[in-house]
Amino acid sequence: MKTQLIEIKNGNTKLLFDKPGTYVVYFSNISGKISCKITSEKVKLYMIGLYDMNNSDKYSIQTEQIHTSPHSFSDLYILSLVRDTSSFIFSGLIRIEKNAQHTHAYQKNQNILLSKGGFVDSRPILEILADDVFCTHGSTSGPLSQDQLYYLRTKGLSKDAAEKASIEGLKSLVYERLESYKVIKFIKL
Amino acid sequence: MKTKKITFDYKFGFSVKSKNVFTAEKGLSEEKVRMISQMKGEPKWMLEKRVQAYHFFLKEEMPEWGADLSKINFDDITYFIRSTDKQVNSWDDLPPEIKDTYDRIGVPEAEKKFLSGVSAQYESEVVYEKVQETLVKQGVIFCDMDTALKKYPKIVREYFGTLIPYSDNKFAALNSSVWSGGSFVYIPKGVIVKLPLQAYFRMNAQAFGQFERTLIIAEEGSSVHYIEGCTAPIYARDSLHSAVVEIFVKDGAKVRYTTVQNWSKNVYNLVTKRARADKNATMEWIDCNLGSQITMKYPAVYLMGEGARAEVLSIAFAGEGQHQDAGAKMIHFASNTSSRIISKSISKEGGRTSYRGLVQVMPNALNSAVFVSCDALLLDEASRSDTYPTMRIKNNESTIQHEATVEKIGEEKLLYLMSRGLSKVDAETAFVNGFIEPVVKEIPLEYSVELNRLIRLEMEGSIG
Repeated sequence: MKTQLIEIKNGNTKLLFDKPGTYVVYFSNISGKISCKITSEKVKLYMIGLYDMNNSDKYSIQTEQIHTSPHSFSDLYILSLVRDTSSFIFSGLIRIEKNAQHTHAYQKNQNILLSKGGFVDSRPILEILADDVFCTHGSTSGPLSQDQLYYLRTKGLSKDAAEKASIEGLKSLVYERLESYKVIKFIKL
Repeated sequence: MKTKKITFDYKFGFSVKSKNVFTAEKGLSEEKVRMISQMKGEPKWMLEKRVQAYHFFLKEEMPEWGADLSKINFDDITYFIRSTDKQVNSWDDLPPEIKDTYDRIGVPEAEKKFLSGVSAQYESEVVYEKVQETLVKQGVIFCDMDTALKKYPKIVREYFGTLIPYSDNKFAALNSSVWSGGSFVYIPKGVIVKLPLQAYFRMNAQAFGQFERTLIIAEEGSSVHYIEGCTAPIYARDSLHSAVVEIFVKDGAKVRYTTVQNWSKNVYNLVTKRARADKNATMEWIDCNLGSQITMKYPAVYLMGEGARAEVLSIAFAGEGQHQDAGAKMIHFASNTSSRIISKSISKEGGRTSYRGLVQVMPNALNSAVFVSCDALLLDEASRSDTYPTMRIKNNESTIQHEATVEKIGEEKLLYLMSRGLSKVDAETAFVNGFIEPVVKEIPLEYSVELNRLIRLEMEGSIG
């Protein structure tokens, strides 16, 4: 079955997944609320967000993965790169209703703070009302990996070049995901 | 079809006939607040604080988040009961019904075995108190707050309400206006208290409110472990327990605060707990929430000094009709500070557990590290588990990690254990005990044995 790409340009979007299939929801540098409701079995939903922020950018994004039917899957990944005095606010909900047994739902939010004046607020929320499910979420915030930077510098890269390479490496995590879902060529990056 | 059940055997649900020397009328008013203060013969500043807190309590709204508190009827609660005229330091001097209660909970026995000091609060006031003499000689103070206010008014005034002002929240205000009992612990500079100090809180009356106030001050380089245990009889009408605990951990000092909360299922447990950790200090909260109808409790640590370290280890267990809304707050103000939150929750038979936490790293808290891990186990399909963490990061030289998982008991793991000859129930018990083990191992042995016994599995309705 073909993977369907849904690129979101307008922050306040409600999506209903009522037919089996694989879907990719992609968004980048937008504020608002993206609500995904899964009412059908055999839905595979990937949500990917990339926030590449400069100056005094401010983004606040709220996501929802609501499972009301059994045997479905959702996976959210949001990467934010916080530079200068930009701020990023994330609030993501996974809600698994009572009859949505055998659901797998995941959520990951990774925030890279690249400047002193940046600010991150991360709220990954789980509400689980069914028991036979797999649900995890993770959130990490911090600077670039010092080990990685050190390694690159031992290979002769300048501090700036090492940082740049590290950042590109992180962004490629997003691109690789999109590639693996075979939707990357449809997205203007 | 075999169904399994983890039973939670509540053996503290008994009550004894009350022979209280004074019981206040139900409900709350300014006169009642003044009366409590007058009966205790308090200084004027404390009375003023109580009255201010009472007025704040009146105008403050109920929290709109968290557990459902709409059923609390503040007018149906008795706010003050004096159960005996004098405080004693020998169990035999207590009125027989109170002594009997503590014997059945097992307090005198525990004291002999492994404690440095014991305080026992019955209804509103502390009825028994004893500390090892060697500690007294070293200058350690362990007494109830009412006595502390009389004997050490200067220290109490210096610290009381500075970490949790009455304006912090509605229930802190309620506590500040009608507080009674609770522990006062003062550990002088460099003194290490090896065995734990313990306070037992017991509610015996129906539709009663217990509002103890605890203040712990650990001076530079000192160390203490404080344990509190809570039980109450099972009644049809709801009781309210709303404590405030303030802890000051000075430079290089270490405080560990262990709670084994085992209120009966008609108790609302709404508690505000906060500690301040100075330079290189260590603060540890170990929080076991097994009982109560609704618990809302988020032990907090303000890491104010460089190199301070804080930890919250928490177990929550929610059965039928219970909602455990527990968690932790870590606020990093200074650099090179670290904190860790480990939360384990178990829900069964329609019980609901929630983890609610806040991690905040201020701009000056450079090179700080935070690790949060929340695991939830759901034992049946009627139960519910939530995770509500908030992380706010205001500098780029700190790392913050949060992870949470929700699962049921893994079929493969059960199968493996059963293939080794364990019955299904034994396998599940082993699994649940293994699940909470990282926290249980931090609890004194006597309690962890009890905890394992409490969470035990039983077969129900098994057929051939």
